[in-house]
Order: sequence, then C-alpha cells, then structure tokens
Amino acid sequence: MAVLISLSLSDMLVTALVLGRMISPEYFSFLVPGIVTVGLFTAATDTGRRIWLALREGVVQYYMTLPIKTSGLVVAYIISGGLGGLVYSSALLIIASFAVHPQNILNAILLVPFMFVLATGIAGLAAFLASISRRGEIYWVYAQALQVSLITISTVFYSAQTVQQYLPSPIATIANYNPLSLTATALRDSVFGGQLLSASILSDMLSTSLPLAAIGALAYWVILRSLRLKGKP
Amino acid sequence: MNRVLNLAAFNIRVLLSDPTWFFLSWALFALQLAIYGSLMSKLVSPNFPNYFFFYGIGLMIIIVFESAEDVGRHFVENAHEGELPYFLSLPVSRGGFLISQALYGVVNTLVKVAPPLLIVLLLWGNLTIVGALFSLLTLFLLGLGITGIMVSLSFIAFKAVDIYLAVLAGLSALLVRFSTVFYPLAFMPSNYSPVSVLSPLTYGADLTRWALGFDPRYLLNPILAAVVVTALAVSTLSLSARIVDKIIEGVKAA
Repeated sequence: MAVLISLSLSDMLVTALVLGRMISPEYFSFLVPGIVTVGLFTAATDTGRRIWLALREGVVQYYMTLPIKTSGLVVAYIISGGLGGLVYSSALLIIASFAVHPQNILNAILLVPFMFVLATGIAGLAAFLASISRRGEIYWVYAQALQVSLITISTVFYSAQTVQQYLPSPIATIANYNPLSLTATALRDSVFGGQLLSASILSDMLSTSLPLAAIGALAYWVILRSLRLKGKP
Repeated sequence: MNRVLNLAAFNIRVLLSDPTWFFLSWALFALQLAIYGSLMSKLVSPNFPNYFFFYGIGLMIIIVFESAEDVGRHFVENAHEGELPYFLSLPVSRGGFLISQALYGVVNTLVKVAPPLLIVLLLWGNLTIVGALFSLLTLFLLGLGITGIMVSLSFIAFKAVDIYLAVLAGLSALLVRFSTVFYPLAFMPSNYSPVSVLSPLTYGADLTRWALGFDPRYLLNPILAAVVVTALAVSTLSLSARIVDKIIEGVKAA
C-alpha cells in the first residue's frame, strides 16, 4: 500500500503540478480527483493479481479444503477487492484534500458506498481476466490492456467537452460512461466543486459497476467449480 | 562467443514465440498517442507547441524503460523458477551469460520500439535515415543502461522478491515522473529540476527528440545527453557484470 500511495502522490505532486503549469493553474484541481480515481482502480485490480497467483501457485486448492462454500470464496475475493480500493482511495482523498480544498465533505462520505460498488466492479473485471488467463503471463497482457484503455478512454485527464470536441462521438460516449469517468466527475463536481450529488451519475455508477462485479464473480465461480469437479481449471 | 550467441538465440526464440506482448505494446502505443496524445496536445498547445510529437517520443522512452524492466524481471523469474542455476552450469562464462541477457534485452526493445518509431516518423513526414538511425542508437544505449540498473538491482530479489518489486515500482515512479519524458524541463518547478537532471530518462528522451529535430530550446545540450547516456550504459553494465560474477553464485532466489 505504501508503494501505491507513493505512486499516486508522485502523480499528484509532480505530474499534476507540472501539467498544471503547462495548461492552466485550474488543471491541477481538475486532475487531482482523477488521480484519486486511478488509485481506486489500481488497488481494486490487485484482486486479479491475487487470483492469478492463487490459481498459478495452487493456493486456491488449499482454500477449497477450508470449510467455506465456493460462492463464499468468490464473494470474499470480490469484497476484499472492493474494500482494498475503498480504503486506498479514501486515504488518497484525505491526502488530496490538503492539496485541493474540498467544498463538501458530506458528499465525500455519501459517495463512499458508490465508490465501494465501483471498486467491486473493477475487482470483478480483474477477477474475470485472471480466471480466463489459462497460460503463463497472459494475465499481465490483459491487465495492462485494461488499465491503459480504461484510463486513456476516460475523462480522468481531460474534460468530457474536450473529448466530445476532438474525438468521434462513439469514443466520447464510451469515455462518458466509463466508470472511472463517472467517479472522477462525481468527485470533481460534488466533493471539490460543492455541487449537489447528481442522482443520474450515482445510478450510472451502479449500473456500470454491478454487472462487472457479477461477470467477474461468475467467471471465478466457474473456474473454482471446474477445479472442484475436474481437478484443474 | 558461439556459445554466448547460442544462449542468446535460445532466449530470443522463446521471446519471439509469443508475439502477443509485441502486438499489445504497439496497440497500446497507438491508442495512447491517438487519444491521450492528441487531446493533451490540444490542451497544452497555447503554451507549448508540438506536444504531440514530444509525447510520442516520451511514449517510446517508456517502452524502452518497460522492456529493460522486463529483462530484470526475466532474470529474477529465472532465478525464482530454478532456471538460473541451470544457465550458470552451462559452459559459458558469467560475462558471456550477461551478454546473452543483454542481447535478449536489445532484441526485446528494438522489436517493441522500432516499428512504432518508423511508422510515426513516416506519418509525421519526418523520416530520415540519419534521424531514425541516431534515435534508435540512443534508445538502444538507454535500454542497455536501464537493463544494467535492473539486473544490478536483482540481487535484492535474492533476499525478498516483494521488496524487489516494491523498489522497482518506487524507482520507476521517481525516474519517470521526475524526468522530461512527458513534460519539458522548462515547465518544471525550480525545486524539481535538480532531481530531473538526475534521471537517465531525461537525457535519453531529450537526445532522441534532438535527433528527430524537435525545437532544441526545450531540450538539454545534446552532447551532454549523449555523454550521460553512453556513460550510463557502460557503468551499469559493468556493475551488473560484477554482480553476476560475485554475488549470484550459489544464491537461491527468495
């Protein structure tokens, strides 16, 4: 966690600061909530790495000898990913509040459960990729592709208006409904911007994150079930 | 020498047998350049001209850096999975073993970076044989230097892999964030600039940009950059040769 925090801190105190000097002083305040969101994403995807390692090194077989149902094991992994993302992004949010003054702390508290759901969704997506990675290092190919594409096609680094102005509309739509964009926008508008929490953003966060969590849980459950029945994934 | 080349050829064949990494690397390069690069260059353009080009070269430096990290990780992975003692038992000197690893790293870097570099230069209408060759030479030397750092650090992994990975992540963050890979020195706060000139990536990035004709007002002195990049490659490879020679023997990876 210390390494993850230091990575996000260097993003905040170096990258955001220098880009702020290149673009405009307001850009720093714009980017900081985006960096908090990227931090949540990074911590939640660690679930995928842990599942991949557990499948590769045979730890899963040990887990399956424990007095716990397969579904319980799946739910535990997804929830731990969600909690990991939440704890990490909350720590980052507290640090970020020293750099950019939050306008509404109550909104930050109200956003916590939605950020938890988002983190479980991302953990589910990472679990799905780990579960379908049958050979060697292929999980890292998927993980890198997921990270770069989700962060690049989002409004973490640039506003929705900029994306709409310069990129084709299908890409702008994907960027707008990307769960990372939704969270970054919610943090920018309601926590650091002082606006009211938007019900449509919250419902979009839920509707994009919950299916991801469900797909990930299902994929991992199928793998565990195959392991139980056939002895191999 | 023949044995060293055989060992290098074996490692390279294993590397090329799975082209997924290369396709992914090229695809992610194109995605980041097309979306992040083009949008950020629009945002930055009033204060800094031609950021798109600047960022494109920065992305190539990142590919070189990640390839060099791969070589370090591959070395540690070999130790972790017990292949390293086998390689060390072959009738190849320790220096020869290191050269084979370096050749593996060079091929890995060149395959990942040369096609995007040439395609991008062609699209920009900036493709000259001298520029392409000089920039590839710079990237090659930078890759060797970073590979030397990564192999030198691998002795940490013989004590604890987790600490090695943490050191690698922290070092990468510092080297990339404080360098001129994504932003020129002119825009860095004055208290960050001394740290930036300590990062080898700063010299590699600025020298490559200079070779490809970027506005020299925003770059470091190319002679200084060339000296630093060359010295880095020579010194870190010598250091890693010493480590491979003295420390690795009989050590079991954690």
